[in-house]
Amino acid sequence: MEQLTNVVVSESELGNIARVLGRLTQDTGASHVLLLDKSGQLISAQGQVGNRDIIALGALLAGAFSSSRQVAEILGEHDFRTILQQGVHESLYTTLIGDQWLLVVVFDKQTHIGLVKLLARRGADELERTLERVLTGGAQAKEQVINVQFRNSVANTIDLLFQD
Amino acid sequence: MALINVASHEIQCKIVYYGTGFCGKTTNLQYIHQNAPQPARGKMLSIATESERTLFFDFLPIDLGTIHGFRVRFHMYTVPGQVLYERTRVAVLNGADGIVFVADSAPDKLEENFQSLIELETNMRRMGKDLGDFPFVMQWNKRDVRAAVPIATLDRYLNRRRVEAFEAIATSGMGVFPTLRAIGKAVMARL
Repeated sequence: MEQLTNVVVSESELGNIARVLGRLTQDTGASHVLLLDKSGQLISAQGQVGNRDIIALGALLAGAFSSSRQVAEILGEHDFRTILQQGVHESLYTTLIGDQWLLVVVFDKQTHIGLVKLLARRGADELERTLERVLTGGAQAKEQVINVQFRNSVANTIDLLFQD
Repeated sequence: MALINVASHEIQCKIVYYGTGFCGKTTNLQYIHQNAPQPARGKMLSIATESERTLFFDFLPIDLGTIHGFRVRFHMYTVPGQVLYERTRVAVLNGADGIVFVADSAPDKLEENFQSLIELETNMRRMGKDLGDFPFVMQWNKRDVRAAVPIATLDRYLNRRRVEAFEAIATSGMGVFPTLRAIGKAVMARL
């Protein structure tokens, strides 16, 4: 049976990602910046996340983006690669990186959207190279984690937690 | 697409509950949310219409805790089942690592179940995935309806791949956890 496609993020790659996100946060003056995979799972977050539910935020943003891609298809567009959601106090700018990742910048009225778009684009280009390595590499790192013992332990935990 | 974050010691997988409108997908997640042990269940998010029909998706994060040093999470989703939301179902299905097909056992729903399954297979193919080679279980829900379709009939028409299938009455919780255990293990086996 074929293995699931999966994404393996190593320490060094996460460090690179955190560095780019940190710089983007600083240069834009954003409150925080998130990197998600297209199914909404959080890869990294930088800035003042506070006690926001970023797990739910990731799921919702990915859902909204995924939905917008379906809209694009109906309109005959190849893709919509960015979404801007403007609030009274804060706004979100989401951009697609490659075909797999979402870069989300959360910023307030002090930051101009033009600056966010420009710097997000640069950040996305820089991240794309790192993320290509994440997609193609990582098999060895994964094998050190996902082995027979691990799978058995997870199966036992599932049985324990979800007993009838 | 499963995320294995070696750096932050986290593993996350996406499980999607699929099926026709009113078949019990949301009820499954609600039961899990209400009855899973406290540390495991996260906050359930439902994007629904005013009449509580799923409009976009339900989302429930499940935290299995730390296993061999890794925090393991399942992100559970349901799709909206009504016919007009076909495109939304594609959007939610994106990146799934495992699928539960929930079938309504009412006799007048057999054709709808069949069409929903065909749609799922088509959507998976368009994503470059073969449902026959994917973590996939079926749930025969609403076993308490009058003149429920016999299991053998459901198996013959809906389960040609002979994947694991579970009888359920999601409103009472019967079959919900067995289904969840099966899909969770199926996803982990293929990671």
